Amino acid sequence: MLDITGLRKTFGADKVALDGVSFAVRPGEMFGFVGANGAGKTTTMRIVMGVLSADAGQVAWQGRPLGFAERRRFGYMPEERGLYQKMKVGEQIDYFGRLHGLSPADAAKATTGLVERLGLTERRGDAVEALSLGNQQRVQLAVALVHDPEVLVLDEPFSGLDPLAVEALAEVLQERARGGVPVIFSSHQLELVDRLCDSIGIISAGRMVASGSVDALRSAEGQRLRVVVRDPKPGWAENLPGTLTVAGDRETLVVTGGDDQAILRAAVQAGRVEHFGSERPTITEIFKEAVS
Amino acid sequence: MKNHLFMVAGREIRAQVRTKAFVIGLIVSVLVVGGLAFAPKLLGGPDSYTLGRVQVAELPVATFAPDAEIKWREFPDEAAAKTALLDGDVDAAVVSGSRVLTDGEIDSELGLLLQSANREAQIGASGVTITPLAMESVGADARYEGARRGIATVLVLVLFFMIIGSVMMVAMGVVEEKGSRIVEILLTSIRPWQLLGGKILGLGVVGLINMAAILAAGLAGALVSGLAADFPPGMTGIVIGALVWFILGYAFFAAFSGALAALVSRQEEVGNVLQPMTLLLMVSYGVSFYASADPTAPIATVLSFIPPFSSMVMPVRTAAAEVPVWEVALSGALMLAAVVGMLALGARIYERAVLRTGARVRLLEVITGNKP
Repeated sequence: MLDITGLRKTFGADKVALDGVSFAVRPGEMFGFVGANGAGKTTTMRIVMGVLSADAGQVAWQGRPLGFAERRRFGYMPEERGLYQKMKVGEQIDYFGRLHGLSPADAAKATTGLVERLGLTERRGDAVEALSLGNQQRVQLAVALVHDPEVLVLDEPFSGLDPLAVEALAEVLQERARGGVPVIFSSHQLELVDRLCDSIGIISAGRMVASGSVDALRSAEGQRLRVVVRDPKPGWAENLPGTLTVAGDRETLVVTGGDDQAILRAAVQAGRVEHFGSERPTITEIFKEAVS
Repeated sequence: MKNHLFMVAGREIRAQVRTKAFVIGLIVSVLVVGGLAFAPKLLGGPDSYTLGRVQVAELPVATFAPDAEIKWREFPDEAAAKTALLDGDVDAAVVSGSRVLTDGEIDSELGLLLQSANREAQIGASGVTITPLAMESVGADARYEGARRGIATVLVLVLFFMIIGSVMMVAMGVVEEKGSRIVEILLTSIRPWQLLGGKILGLGVVGLINMAAILAAGLAGALVSGLAADFPPGMTGIVIGALVWFILGYAFFAAFSGALAALVSRQEEVGNVLQPMTLLLMVSYGVSFYASADPTAPIATVLSFIPPFSSMVMPVRTAAAEVPVWEVALSGALMLAAVVGMLALGARIYERAVLRTGARVRLLEVITGNKP
């Protein structure tokens, strides 16, 4: 379990970047970290990786405060990608494996495995600078994964990738999560977060405004009812809660909470009910609700 | 943990040695320095004359010019000698009747030689012997002064260019890692001092390879061209000393550069931020250049003890003049202490600055402030 408790960080005298950020990520969990630009995602991840030090608060792994020795077993992908541009793909992955403490034989084995898994076999002998952005990102991921890390911290791993590369990366991350590794990644692609993550954390202006399992956040959002009525009597929804939208002769009422049976009766009396059902809010909706 | 230092150093060496720039640079500098060893021979060098004679005995020219290379050719008559003269095959021809034929005005040195040899031959023939003057110097042995200064001048240039070249590589490497943020990944697995130390070590080895190749090329060239005959005794010591001083000077300036370079995030800012280091190196260069011409001047003596100037002034002084061993040892010890101090300070600045990307970090803030 990775526990982040009460992180506080100010830059300069008055710019508060983090104001008591806390959340936890369990082994095997994919944790999506979302928030607007400048909300504090990168700062939080950099503190987790020890690149920045926090003014207050702590990060603990398996119940113990995180130190250099533990972080060496983490895998990290910083927001701004960093690779040696003139170094060959295979050598680069191998080098980082060695730096993380792998023996030459293990590093070579891990490199070969990752190069194959990420579809870089043909580019193994090429300098990184000769690769497309998508392939460079794959190398960056390989560098983060080469030492079989206990925890993965990835800042915007999917940004700027084509759909195929996104799929390839997502698959690899899911595989690691299934192997019991907690995976934290930040992203602005909320559908992707929705599809991949077991839990999410929403940060806004340096504070966590919501965090937990996706299901729990959805239930917290409340049951939502959507009713579509064709050609209803005018003013049928005037006494009902929720918001009404009109498109041609179809009127749609979306209600959170309320007496669903009463709403159904009103709808049946008003006209032809084409749709009646409860629906789950999307992460985009949860996000909008949380940061508003 | 030491392992990581060597891993980083190994990467730096491999990254450099494989580049075309390194290979070409090495070949060019070896050729230039090797060629330089032939320059004195082309410009001056020992004289060589080819002399002709017609029905007369050889004159004892060699007695008066032991270093010169004298070749005699015998011709059957004056006409044959004239033809050879006009063809440029001989420099002068001695013919009967105490006459010397030349093509135009005779070379003044050759003229003197022939006159002296002629006098010696005639006096010898008359049975009189003259005891030649024996020359004795009551001052210091000045035989090698010229050679020593020449070697010192070359050494100044080699030391300066090797140090500044290697040190710039360190600075550029630091900024490459900081600017690309690769340092963020590196520093989650290794310590800052290992990263900076490994870089300094690796690029130092590359510099040493260059330096050794240049010195070897110079020595080999000198041996082949015969210039080595003019070398003062203790040349091996001067060369080994130059390598040791190069290591000390490089370590000092490299740690300084690495620390300064960690303050900026873009290659364009490197030149600017390195100014204090460049200035110090330029002053060292200027003083040691002066010392190569006047190795016994007070300023040369004083600065040959003060780090980091001593790293360039002392080797030049030892090459240009005799320096007592204790002076070299003291100067070396002081420089070594300065290197250790600079490495510690450099590592501290580097650690505190290298993760602070964006605008240039202020040096004072880094030295006095806390970790970011």
